[in-house]
Amino acid sequence: MLKELVKGLGTTLRYMFKRPVTVQYPEVKRPVRERFRGRHELKRFANGQERCIGCALCAAACPADAILVVPAENDPANPHSPGERYAAVYEINMLRCIFCGYCEDACPTNAIVLEHQYELSFYDRRASIYTKEMLLVPPDKGHGDPPPILQQINRQPSPPAKIDL
Amino acid sequence: MSDVTLTIDGVQVTVPAGTNIVDAARQAGIAIPVFCYHPRLKPVGMCRMCLVEVGTPKVDPATRQPVLDANGQPVIAMMPKLQTACTTPVSPGMVVKTTTEQVKFAQRGILEFLLTSHPLDCPVCDKGGECPLQNLTMGWGPAVSRFDYNDKVHFEKPVKLGDLIYLDRERCILCGRCVRFQDEIADDPVLGFDHRGRNWMIISKSDPPFASKFSGNTTDICPVGALTSSDFRFKARVWELQSKPVVCTLCPVGCNLTFDMRHDRLMRVMPRENAAVNDIWICDKGRYGHRFIEAPERLTTPLVRRNGTLIPVSWDEALEVVADQLTIIRARHGGQALAGLAGAHLSNEDLYLFQKLLRELGSENIDTGIGGPSALSADVIGGLLAPGPDTDLSKLGAGTVVFVVGADPEEEAPLYMLRLRGIAQRGGKLVVAGLRPTKLDRSATQVVRYRPEGELAFAQGLLKAAIESGAKTALLEQVPGWNEMRRALSQAKLTDLAAACDLTESTLIQLAREFLSAEQSLIVYGWEARSAGSALTELLAALMLLSGKAGKANNGIIALLPGGNSRGAIEMGVRPDAGPGYALRKQRGLDANGIWSAAQSGQVRAIWLAGVDPAASVPAARAALEAAEFVVVQDLFLTASAELADVVLPATSVAEREGTYTNAERRVQRSRQACAPVGEARPDWQIVTAVAHALAMVPIGGGRHGPIPVKAEAWDYIVAGDVADEIAKTVPGYAGITYAALAATGSGGNWGRQFDDAIYYDGTSYTNSEGVGLVLPALAAKAALHLAFTGATTGFADDRPLLLLEQVLAYADQRHLRGSKLQSLVPAGCVALSNDDAAKLNIHSGDRVRLTSASGELVLPARVLADLPAGMVLLPAGLADVEAAAIETGPRTRVSLAKVVMG
Repeated sequence: MLKELVKGLGTTLRYMFKRPVTVQYPEVKRPVRERFRGRHELKRFANGQERCIGCALCAAACPADAILVVPAENDPANPHSPGERYAAVYEINMLRCIFCGYCEDACPTNAIVLEHQYELSFYDRRASIYTKEMLLVPPDKGHGDPPPILQQINRQPSPPAKIDL
Repeated sequence: MSDVTLTIDGVQVTVPAGTNIVDAARQAGIAIPVFCYHPRLKPVGMCRMCLVEVGTPKVDPATRQPVLDANGQPVIAMMPKLQTACTTPVSPGMVVKTTTEQVKFAQRGILEFLLTSHPLDCPVCDKGGECPLQNLTMGWGPAVSRFDYNDKVHFEKPVKLGDLIYLDRERCILCGRCVRFQDEIADDPVLGFDHRGRNWMIISKSDPPFASKFSGNTTDICPVGALTSSDFRFKARVWELQSKPVVCTLCPVGCNLTFDMRHDRLMRVMPRENAAVNDIWICDKGRYGHRFIEAPERLTTPLVRRNGTLIPVSWDEALEVVADQLTIIRARHGGQALAGLAGAHLSNEDLYLFQKLLRELGSENIDTGIGGPSALSADVIGGLLAPGPDTDLSKLGAGTVVFVVGADPEEEAPLYMLRLRGIAQRGGKLVVAGLRPTKLDRSATQVVRYRPEGELAFAQGLLKAAIESGAKTALLEQVPGWNEMRRALSQAKLTDLAAACDLTESTLIQLAREFLSAEQSLIVYGWEARSAGSALTELLAALMLLSGKAGKANNGIIALLPGGNSRGAIEMGVRPDAGPGYALRKQRGLDANGIWSAAQSGQVRAIWLAGVDPAASVPAARAALEAAEFVVVQDLFLTASAELADVVLPATSVAEREGTYTNAERRVQRSRQACAPVGEARPDWQIVTAVAHALAMVPIGGGRHGPIPVKAEAWDYIVAGDVADEIAKTVPGYAGITYAALAATGSGGNWGRQFDDAIYYDGTSYTNSEGVGLVLPALAAKAALHLAFTGATTGFADDRPLLLLEQVLAYADQRHLRGSKLQSLVPAGCVALSNDDAAKLNIHSGDRVRLTSASGELVLPARVLADLPAGMVLLPAGLADVEAAAIETGPRTRVSLAKVVMG
């Protein structure tokens, strides 16, 4: 009896000299792994244009039907994204989302990325629908240049073929 | 044609001689990938995707006998190089291999070649998801391109080919399907190739670009995303769409459509295959002219006029007002003080109930259309002598004679132009007779051009020649008025008749004999023929009866009437003189024009308008609506007539309701509901039912005209199908036309998105799994009971020199053009005149001219048409900026013309 008591208290005593495993959430937050799949973000290119071209492949890949994309045509003078098409509406229902990351896999422009934010709670079901404005990163947080395939607006035609006679 | 047996990939298949290998393989369930080949177009072998190994039995040159091997099997000599399966016809004993390494290598090579100049921007492209190039690349091609993107050929991204179609030349694989469709099927050869080598591209050769009424079909058959529709540009991805089967109500063809919906919104309109009606094509009016269903101006609640303004109220309130007012007016002035007009685009259910209620209330003043000087009486002939069941214009060819008299199918019923052209292409005889040239002339085997107002002489000449060549008149003997017609014919000489219409006697005799002796004889007439008065159509009916073939399959008269369900309106009894099924009424009511004058004189006190807007274009109607005590309008929009109404009830469009429609060939087709009604809008038949229920609830007696005879029990319809059942029971000829029967897909449906087919010819058309409709049993046997020859003409004494003809236009109706891309294609109002007349009067295109008739005058810009015969002027019908009613004295008007000199 006494032996067990000492053994148990010994464990307690031992841990008193170790660093604590728990953190004081929410004051302190544990860093997540690099590939953690949290809330989505819609990324931008370095020039500030949206990466999303409104192709809706993420919505097609989504097993939970959580994504709504309504595409529209870019105004060549003031394009939202490179290419002719952009997402006029982009919404994710976070209550439906199962954070599988298929949307990320499907995205041809790496526009949608599951990032590390995991604090998703709502008082209202409607609040679980994240709109494009909520998902988009700020314009100065872009990265990378649009690939040539997307430089569709104001496209310069190829020069005529040169034939060396 | 004899059959040929061949072996494809070890499978024996027997097909008719002349079939190409692609189609033969398809019958054996073997897919040969194609891009340029399309079963509705002639094969050209341009894309080289269908390369296969082909061998034929070796023949000993000495004996002309097949060489046999040791086992007694014929020795197969394989051709040294691969053959294009689409251009190679089958031959007996042929052996085809579609999956050998050599074939696979070639197909992979062709695909890689095609992709060297294709941008592969599938995520952006509207074709993505239903793209044959995507599918075939997945199935046959290399998964990666060895070509660097920057080395690919680049063009400026989409160029507009007209307002409806975008061309992306980077994506184009130059298969030429669009060019061939325009040349072979649409007869608008406006597309072509330009440049060569890497700069080879599709261009539009016309001005304005891509001027064709069928341009949208090229986006369906384009195997890549090169041609896309501006109407569907970046609206949605194709896999997100829900397809709803709808019938087009914009013209009497009744094309089968698919409404592609997303979130209850119309994304695009696509054809739905129906071999007997529209094949896999639709016209641009049907494809782009349905945006009105989502116009923001749609009525959403009932409106009732209180203190001079229309204010929104509930349905119950509005119905109470309608029922009270109708009851009061009926009690004071009798049932004949009520009148109703219904639109010819409403469904059979709407029209049937509309006339049923008005007739129960004791009114016979029922009509379709809006009246006005150019209004014509209901066309009975096109219904009584319509072709019988099993009619299928797509199968007619040699042995068929079609007379197109006074019609412009391209404008009045665009798909009929394709059908008629197809008959001529397959070897049939297409005789196009008319006062003026139309586009169908180009497809005709014989064009007959009679002089202005010579059409009666033409038809009389045909009839006389037919009788003289021995046709039996037995069927005609019972028709009232035949004796007068015969007397007139026997008095006239064929030479005189021929001279009166500017033709030779031998032409008339030849045409009449060909018509009588053909296996299938069809007559198609349109507005121009009807505007000559009923005498002309009666003569054509007599000719049809003389042939003895009226009412058999593929034999009869097809009348092109305005409105998608005008035939249905006549058969449902929405006309003043006859009830459902052509049953003549004892007492004849007032037609539209009669209603307008009776309303102004106070005989008609209440007017009910369902889906018509007469006030917009008929001044007499506006005056009548202002004079009437009570006007109720049910419509989609607050039209000019609705603004004059006391009660406005919101109705649903074709997309928001179910219904059946009867087309010009008397084919009944069912349209389904595609989306939820806008606001509180209700289908027209429900509105009529609700009014009937409200009437039954009105507590007061009817005064000296008796109590309201409407019983709520008799109006117990819950769904549209209940009304259809009643129509099937009560309307002669409609027995068996139930919703279940209409859902059969008998002849249609081997097209489009079926298993294993996407990799085939593809195109983006839809298989018809929702019913191809039924042709009603022919009435021709009983025609004599309902027909009567009156010999009425619209000609009259007026010495003004020119004949004014209304020209029906496809793109004119403001309702259907609302919110549509077609708006820019609506021509500006003008009056067209011939070169000779223009020269005589010193008028040039663009000059302002004054038209003067007995009833008024009108100033319009002139347009000189080189091919218009002298002596006539054309006035476009239905345009907002042409007040035709101001000068018209009837369906045809004599006018004089003078240049307006700017002061």
